[in-house]
Amino acid sequence: MRPILLAGHERALTQIKLVPPPFLPFPQEGTVNFVGWYNREGDLLFSTAKDQHICAWFAHNGERLGTYQGHQGAIWTVDVDPTSTIIASGSADNTIRLWEIKTGKLLKTWDFPTAVKRVEFNEDGTRLLGVTEKRMGHLGTIVVLDIKLDVNAEQSDEKVMTIVCDESKATVAGWSYLSKYIIAGHEDGSVSQYDGKTGDLYYNFPAHELNQQITDLQWNQDRTYFITASKDKTAKLISAKDLEVMKTYPADTPLNSATITPKKDFVILGGGQAAMDVTTTSARQGKFEARFYHKIFEDEIGRVRGHFGPLNTVAADPTGKGYASGGEDGYVRVHQFDKGYFDFV
Amino acid sequence: KEHLEILARKEIIQKRKDKASEAQAIKDKEAARKKMLQEQLLQQAEAQRLAEEQKIREQKRIANEREQIKRKEVESMLKDMKLEDLAGEDLDNLDSNKIRMIKLQQLEREKNTVSEKLRVTGKRLDHLERAFRKEEAKKLPDDYAK
Amino acid sequence: DDDFDENEVDISDLKEKYEVQLEQGFDTFVVVDGLPVVTEEQKPKLVKFLLKKLNTAGKTREDLIFMPMGDDGKSLQFAFVEFSTPNEAAAAVRQLDYTPLDKKHTLRVNKLTDIDRYGREGRIDEEYTPPVIEPFQEKEHLRSFMADPSGRGRDQLVMFRGDTVGVFWANEKEAPENIVDRQHWTETFVQWSPLGTFLVSVHAQGVQLWGGASWTRQRRFAHPFVNLVAFSPNENYLVTWSNRPIAIPDDGHPALSLDDDGKNYVIWDVETGKPLRSFAQLEVAQPAGGDENAPKKPVKNPWPAFKWSPDDKYVARLNQGSSISVYELPKMNLLDKTAVKLDGVMDFEWAPATVQREGVKNYEQLFCFWTPEIGSNPARVGLMSIPSKQIVRSLNLFSVSDAKLHWQSEGAYLCVKVDRHSKSKKSQATTLEIFRIKEKGVPVEVVDTIKDTVINFAWEPKGDRFVIITTTEPVGATAVPPKTSVAFFCPEKAKGNAVGNFKHLRTLEKKNSNAIYWSPKGRFVVVATVANTQSSELEFYDLDFEGEKPESDKDLTANLQLMNTADHYGVTDIEWDPSGRYVATWASFWKHAMENGYHLYDFKGEQLREEPIEKFKQLQWRPRPATLLSKEEQKQIRKNLREYSRLFEQEDAERISSADVAVVEARRRLLNEWYDWLEQMEEELAEEREA
Repeated sequence: MRPILLAGHERALTQIKLVPPPFLPFPQEGTVNFVGWYNREGDLLFSTAKDQHICAWFAHNGERLGTYQGHQGAIWTVDVDPTSTIIASGSADNTIRLWEIKTGKLLKTWDFPTAVKRVEFNEDGTRLLGVTEKRMGHLGTIVVLDIKLDVNAEQSDEKVMTIVCDESKATVAGWSYLSKYIIAGHEDGSVSQYDGKTGDLYYNFPAHELNQQITDLQWNQDRTYFITASKDKTAKLISAKDLEVMKTYPADTPLNSATITPKKDFVILGGGQAAMDVTTTSARQGKFEARFYHKIFEDEIGRVRGHFGPLNTVAADPTGKGYASGGEDGYVRVHQFDKGYFDFV
Repeated sequence: KEHLEILARKEIIQKRKDKASEAQAIKDKEAARKKMLQEQLLQQAEAQRLAEEQKIREQKRIANEREQIKRKEVESMLKDMKLEDLAGEDLDNLDSNKIRMIKLQQLEREKNTVSEKLRVTGKRLDHLERAFRKEEAKKLPDDYAK
Repeated sequence: DDDFDENEVDISDLKEKYEVQLEQGFDTFVVVDGLPVVTEEQKPKLVKFLLKKLNTAGKTREDLIFMPMGDDGKSLQFAFVEFSTPNEAAAAVRQLDYTPLDKKHTLRVNKLTDIDRYGREGRIDEEYTPPVIEPFQEKEHLRSFMADPSGRGRDQLVMFRGDTVGVFWANEKEAPENIVDRQHWTETFVQWSPLGTFLVSVHAQGVQLWGGASWTRQRRFAHPFVNLVAFSPNENYLVTWSNRPIAIPDDGHPALSLDDDGKNYVIWDVETGKPLRSFAQLEVAQPAGGDENAPKKPVKNPWPAFKWSPDDKYVARLNQGSSISVYELPKMNLLDKTAVKLDGVMDFEWAPATVQREGVKNYEQLFCFWTPEIGSNPARVGLMSIPSKQIVRSLNLFSVSDAKLHWQSEGAYLCVKVDRHSKSKKSQATTLEIFRIKEKGVPVEVVDTIKDTVINFAWEPKGDRFVIITTTEPVGATAVPPKTSVAFFCPEKAKGNAVGNFKHLRTLEKKNSNAIYWSPKGRFVVVATVANTQSSELEFYDLDFEGEKPESDKDLTANLQLMNTADHYGVTDIEWDPSGRYVATWASFWKHAMENGYHLYDFKGEQLREEPIEKFKQLQWRPRPATLLSKEEQKQIRKNLREYSRLFEQEDAERISSADVAVVEARRRLLNEWYDWLEQMEEELAEEREA
């Protein structure tokens, strides 16, 4: 499994997204700074970092398709709509922005009082949620925006819904199957289930250790269950319907990200002690490895080394052919699974 | 007239003689030249042969020396690697790569015999301890009664 | 500042076992019984007195003490007391029950809920309040741990990680099997008694001993702010030490008396739980003629200060520079009423076993000591026999700068490592002087003169070989520790039962090793680099390897073989199990916070298990007493080992295959459950999608 190293960011990675085909037409002149050509076989990969641009890559060869410029602060999050037309991004500059993928054109900017830590499109791409930070008299919120999947349409300024997280701020959130629920992970380690239409809180459940922040929340393909990663050194597989913790994956380091692989029953976890928390300079201590676990049996299967710093984000390729990880070291590593992986029962 | 004839004849004879001797001389000279040439060729051939022989001898010597060095190397290598038992067998067929391979195999064998010996030792230690404890456990109720 | 809360000791399992569910509300009440009869006028005085006692256990007030009076105007000899929390009430019961008031009266303190319970069960007469008798409980067998219930002859170990202490059966590769696990079982550390009978927990109030199959408290030794504990070899006594002198409160102490005030050491009788005698710390003599204003050297207390003879009959303490005080147990009187005067004495050590010496009829206890050069008198190493105080052997030495005393485990040999200096005091060398204790006249053999500094020495337990570690540079506060050499020594072959002269066997150079760990059964030894930030290698040696022996060693009684090497990053401690089959190594949170956890190896250095554990602090194998089997029985087992072996092989194979089957079954079940769930979810999803 020889990785492709993507060195396009100068700063620590915050989130990566893999997108399956269909692919894009030839790029047009615009604000996207293109780097070379691409072929139509590979998957696209988007990454955001603590620098101020979003990168788009060809996953199969590591070529950079382009960057999306405009944010005025670190970019925390990016998501792609199901038709691969638009991406949404959230940033420390207190905005959510919409971009046209193929031109890099900025379509819309929404302003908020605080930074936006997570964005996610619902299943059909008609709605977008954003998680806003808690700061100076502002409680953390989950906002919902109406989206028109048309690059020429006028996007509405209106927030359809705002969920205020007064108990503990949300750190991550996402849409369940049929956009029935919004599921959020909180700073205090709990998971909440909200009504996707009204925003009413149905249930809040302490899935992780108290005050051990939930750092990531990613879905399986039909969004019936999800995986959470936490600073409490575990990842958990939870059903969206009743927040039942179905599986627990214990690691020996605080986790920043977890993802579910399609096709094969694995999960991939990423984390590592941040430099400031490591008591010595020993690189051994960091445990900067992507860890594979069997999704159903919960045992650790193997690890993939390579990053020089903690893994901030891992993302499984939606076609099941590989995965990518983004690190504090500023690299995106794209791995294609080898034959052994597919033979593994 | 007769005299003249004689003289003329004489002269002719003389000329013929001269011619003949001249021819002979040329012939002789030619023969000598040929002979010399032949001798020269022979000499050259001999020298060449000698040179060749010398060359072959030299090559042999070098080859011999090489062989010697290689042999020494092999021997010292064997000594270094504590494989003296192999010496005297067919050193000519050995080179450093082969020796390395043999050494590796030997190390592997040694490791295997060591680990096999230790495995047996370990089994015995474990089973003896377990047997002691098994019998000891039977005496515990008596110990409690005390 | 006494912030120890005994209720932090998790006894939930015991509670569950012994406590009946009761209504809430009365948990803060206790019944104090056994009080003297007082009149209404005397009552406030008694209440005040009582209050003082009660407040040592928890918080209560005068108005929370209800002392009922009889019709005759006299008290009924008991009182109800309310504390602010149930924990305090419980503490009062534990601490104050059976407190003597005077010659006639002993305080009884019980929980109201207990009285209620036993009362309701009809065990007591309603008419009067009798002392509550503890329900009869059969005393547990404290050595039951010697038998592994699984029949696999496993050993136990205790692990202290985070705030939790647990005892486990050690398994080879699988996770250890938990026997008991309690949070806050100890405040500082845990320790086994030398024969494995008790587990010691250490608290601000003193030490507690735990044991038996249900892990109940067996003894308490209330030495406030205790720091360290040491048992006598046969577990009859123990000594506790606190660097804080004991302060007896005005209203007394449950175990100690005013005699113990100001003392640092207490010697206890384990059987009765009573203190035998206490001692103050010795003043460490400051160098004579020193500047009065010079900063005083921090007082370093040698531990153990009190050293036990192997038969538990004597305990002795060094008065450095002058004498050794030998006390007889259990009376703790000074032997012959006087300390053994030994001018300049620097150190002493008891022989760890009662040695049978050739040509001597009465085997007394032995200790060795050494005195430095004083004036023109040579330095001296002596062996003294106790109680006769006879000097058995004495050896004079010159140019001695230091000496260390190393007994072999059976007391057969004593190695005195003597550091000597040249006349100019510039160069330095070490000699190893070995006393052959068992042989007639105790001959002394000088083994070797070593130019380098010897930083470690270890005898083979029950054997006659030893390992030393040397270094060329003196060990100082250098950034990179100097390279070391490891040297093995063994006796030459000799005729009959005699032990030949000690010879150098092998030296391994350019090492980082700094520690030697012999198997408790001898033969195998681990040479390691511990508590070193640069390296952490472990080397496993066999000294009786059953393979080919090098020609050069043919006259020596050892066949050295390196079995394996391993590396345990950050290792701080290493310990063999009592059977000599396994070695545990761990990186303790007490020393550093990197990769805390333990590794388990077999005797030949093959790693069996590795478990990283947050805040892993301590691991200790449970010691075992001497075998209960007679020599004859042991011989018989050895003879029939083949039979046992066959049985064990079979048992192991069956266990492994059934475990495999269980794993496969568990996996199949997990798979089925998962796919059932998925299917159901998909159906629901399809329905909802249509709706």
